[in-house]
Amino acid sequence: MKKDLIRLIAIGIVSLIVIATGALWAVSAYMKGDMAGAIGGGAIAAIILVFAIFTFIKGNRDLKEGFPLKDERSRKVIEKASSKAFYVSLYLLLALGFLSDGMIQFRDVSQATGIAVGGMAIIWAVLWAYYNNKEI
Amino acid sequence: MRTRIKELRAKYNLTQEDLARKCGVRRETIVFLEKGKYNPSLQLAHDVAKALKSKIEEIFLFDD
Repeated sequence: MKKDLIRLIAIGIVSLIVIATGALWAVSAYMKGDMAGAIGGGAIAAIILVFAIFTFIKGNRDLKEGFPLKDERSRKVIEKASSKAFYVSLYLLLALGFLSDGMIQFRDVSQATGIAVGGMAIIWAVLWAYYNNKEI
Repeated sequence: MRTRIKELRAKYNLTQEDLARKCGVRRETIVFLEKGKYNPSLQLAHDVAKALKSKIEEIFLFDD
């Protein structure tokens, strides 16, 4: 139980760091007049904030009711989603490399990196939702 | 795989939450176990059988 509480606090701290980074990115992009960067950073911060609040409330309720944050099934779902997301992400990075070679023009490296990281996060989330509802 | 968890839970008047607490797992795991959509570890199968005062082979049924 104490381990789960520490894990929940750690999730909260990491979420706050990510939200702060997204917000800083949005503010600095806005000050430079880069509206796409401002919207992107703000959107990342907002999405993480919503997920963090949901995770924290659900985790806290589960702990109070005597349930663990993770068990063998949830670990198996994360393992499967992560391993498949790794392979799919390789294809995404390959596709971005191919597309950037003349087909689409990225503004700079940070935009390409942002799309790659965002795409990897979306792939992981989709695969997690898939395996969480599938027979494993 | 089919299971008799729901039937045995009713027999011993246990909710899914009660069984989850007894086995030290999340509620969702019991829901998926009942539907036969999760193949548990031997440890969890043993814990479920113990909580439902039955043998593992009486709870988890395989169509050969």
